[in-house]
Amino acid sequence: MSFFIETLLGGLMTGMLYSLVALGFVLIYKASGVFNFAQGAMVLFAALAMARFAEWIPGWLGIESLFLANLIAIVITVGIMFVVAWLVERLALRHLVNQNEATLLMATLGITYVLDGVGQTLFGSDIYKIDVGMPKDPVIMFEALFQGGVLINKEDFIAAAIAAILVAALTLFFQKTPTGRALRAVADDHQAALSVGIPLDRIWVIVWCVAGITALVAGIIWGSKLGVQFSLSTVALRALPVVILGGLTSVPGAIIGGLIIGVGEKISEVYLGPYVGGGIEIWFAYMLALVFLLFRPQGLFGEKIIDRV
Amino acid sequence: MLYRENGQFKTSYQADQQIFPIAQDRLGVLLLIAFAFVGVPFLVDEYMFRAILIPFLILSLASLGVNLLVGYCGQITLGAGAFMAVGAYAGYNFLIRVPDMPVLGAILLGGVSAAAVGIVFGVPSLRVRGLYLAVATLAAQFFWDWAFLRIKWFTNDSSSGSVSVANLDVFGVEISSPLSKYLFCLTVLVVLSLAAKNLVRATIGRQWMAIRDMDVAAAVIGIRPMYAKLTAFAVSSFYVGVAGALWGFVHLGSWEPAAFSVDRSFQLLFMVIIGGLGSIMGSFFGAAFIVILPIFLNQILPVFGAIFGVEISTATVSHFEIMIFGSLIVFFLIVEPHGLARLWSTGKEKLRLWPFPH
Amino acid sequence: MSGRKIGDVILDLNNISLSFGGVKALQNISFNVMEHEVRAIIGPNGAGKSSMLNVINGVYHPQEGEIIFRGEHRRDMDTHQAAEQGIARTFQNIALFKGMSVLDNIMTGRNLRMKSNLFMQALWIGPARREELEHRQKVEEIIDFLEIQHIRKTPVGRLPYGLQKRVDLARALAMEPEVLLLDEPMAGMNVEEKQDMCRFILDVNDQFGTTIVLIEHDMGVVMDISDRVVVLDYGKKIGDGVPDEVRANPEVISAYLGASH
Repeated sequence: MSFFIETLLGGLMTGMLYSLVALGFVLIYKASGVFNFAQGAMVLFAALAMARFAEWIPGWLGIESLFLANLIAIVITVGIMFVVAWLVERLALRHLVNQNEATLLMATLGITYVLDGVGQTLFGSDIYKIDVGMPKDPVIMFEALFQGGVLINKEDFIAAAIAAILVAALTLFFQKTPTGRALRAVADDHQAALSVGIPLDRIWVIVWCVAGITALVAGIIWGSKLGVQFSLSTVALRALPVVILGGLTSVPGAIIGGLIIGVGEKISEVYLGPYVGGGIEIWFAYMLALVFLLFRPQGLFGEKIIDRV
Repeated sequence: MLYRENGQFKTSYQADQQIFPIAQDRLGVLLLIAFAFVGVPFLVDEYMFRAILIPFLILSLASLGVNLLVGYCGQITLGAGAFMAVGAYAGYNFLIRVPDMPVLGAILLGGVSAAAVGIVFGVPSLRVRGLYLAVATLAAQFFWDWAFLRIKWFTNDSSSGSVSVANLDVFGVEISSPLSKYLFCLTVLVVLSLAAKNLVRATIGRQWMAIRDMDVAAAVIGIRPMYAKLTAFAVSSFYVGVAGALWGFVHLGSWEPAAFSVDRSFQLLFMVIIGGLGSIMGSFFGAAFIVILPIFLNQILPVFGAIFGVEISTATVSHFEIMIFGSLIVFFLIVEPHGLARLWSTGKEKLRLWPFPH
Repeated sequence: MSGRKIGDVILDLNNISLSFGGVKALQNISFNVMEHEVRAIIGPNGAGKSSMLNVINGVYHPQEGEIIFRGEHRRDMDTHQAAEQGIARTFQNIALFKGMSVLDNIMTGRNLRMKSNLFMQALWIGPARREELEHRQKVEEIIDFLEIQHIRKTPVGRLPYGLQKRVDLARALAMEPEVLLLDEPMAGMNVEEKQDMCRFILDVNDQFGTTIVLIEHDMGVVMDISDRVVVLDYGKKIGDGVPDEVRANPEVISAYLGASH
């Protein structure tokens, strides 16, 4: 039993990271109708920038404190992600308004390549580590409930807390601030938003920037757990089924979908994997999403589309 | 003034329905094919065959297949690499398990297997479209990636899914030299391209395009969306599967699942978008662009580095390569979202009117 | 309208109700259409006219009611079935295949009559090739009929609105339908274009004996060309009869003048 709980919790932790990446997808899709394949590349890019600046800053500025170095690195990286968002809007998106979905999808794949290339040219292509001082030691919990208790990493707990805070902050941002409301208006109808004077280009920069920040958070959590390396870029592909499950336009969908996929993946790998040769977690998530699609094409929380003739 | 259709009057609908109704086009294409068969073998060396021409021919075939589905029927696919893999591994199994199986037969049966798998993975297209469908096709990609790596039967119990074929011969002719490989692939490509052109100008092609452009109206005039979409998946996967079998058998000789990864799927989609959705000619342009660009960048970047007195390491070259590749894709999508084929037809229209501006 | 004889009831709609979620688009509507007649459906915006056509050719499936087409009783139609039974249709917001030429668009109207298989089409041999020629012949007749010879090779996306409407009609005619549903065929046209379209509709009705069900806003046109008119308002039927009857119906007048209900 305790092994099952451990698997379940492990799945939830991975799922939460998927949720973070999926959140990036949903934000951009809602505001601009672009399915941003580059979200994974943004995670890698942000994590690389963060890791390298945290490494360089003590040397440059003579700062001893790890905390301060990390803080400065985070600020610089947020700045860089802003520049990335601005450039993407300026150089690509602005010229691609009203193109069809496939073209936009391909454009973001192009952006993926550019980000991968630039990131590795600027920051190197080895494996780097991010140390934000998260405690790595495991704790044993629920000893009263199960014999032997359940083994959990403190790090995972903190990561979960950070993710939860981020989601709460985003929700507040969307519900309470004028910019958030403008974003939702743009999501509902581009032209109507334009006609009441919401500047589309600025909204896009903001939403890409927000997506960049969620990418940074995902990158930091993932990077401090597993190291920053190129494979981070492929996390986009693993988070895709999440968006399908949750619905492309739904923030709660991204979060719940992420958790479902994370848990489903882990449990299938642990309990089903050994019988079929292992390594099934990737396609299992996709199959799960696919079967789900057949019954509910718009996802868990997506809006139902009715054709008008 | 050379390119004119003046005076070429059609006196029957048959003449009007030819593949190339304009005489100059007909002549041009025939000359091009003749040149490819007879002229090219005298002009290029082995490296050109191996590094550029053979990959170009095979990937043209694959991108043609993808274009039938994406460009003509409007169904996005990100799983084309998987169907190449199915073609290659199914062909391999037919070759080693069926006694006296001819190579060409194995390649075609590889295509047929891919078509069958394509129909299965095309079923979601009846319920979902656009991005959701793209993700559904990714399911095919990851499933087959895994299957050929882990299910040992497919790979005849070889480790890590790597298999090889040797001693190819087609109708008694041994396909081993780069030249013979080139001619073999060229023949397959020409025949299948002709068939594709016939399909898209026939009723099935019109049904695909009708579904693409306005599916409700298509249903109202009696087109069955299921039939149209699934045939598109089947035919497309057949082409892609044959290309996969050629890629394995002829180009690589021995291969493992990584040869048909998700990157290959993306690459194929790039080809049809850069080449031009819904254009047979565009599939070739796209394949040429994507095959040649990396080779070109690889050659040119160190030269540039030398000019500016910088030593560029191989790692940096490869990073620059993907960077430039990515930016060029975005650039192309911006300046000509309809692809190289559109540039080609605009050019032809201009030529038709030349020297007059309108 | 000479030489044309109105026949028996060909299409009978009984107590049709259709709703989307909570929105009731059609409530308990019954009317019939007789062979060879021109039947108009009129009503203010949002009255449910297009929904009615969509029910007839199977795009929408009503929750209640019965459709009787040529003596066959059905709960609802299915698009393919409707097409096979000879019901064709044009669309309010032109639903042409905009990536294809005029000729190809009209050729799609023949798809149900083309029987050659995939392999024959791929090889362009035998029946496939013969079929293409036969149906091209028929399509050319329709092109001549609608006077659009000069644009047959043009992609429909490049055509002006009025011509697109005509191509839409051509595609429907290519099906050689028994019943032709026209959803605002004259919307957005100028007087001349309207006159042309009226002429085509009457010619189709007269020469081919096609039964026509028509939605139109221009009352002058409706009263001129239709044999009987059904009036819908907010998903309910408020009038049915020959043009003069309908014109005199007080409920219809109030619906059109926006008087209080």
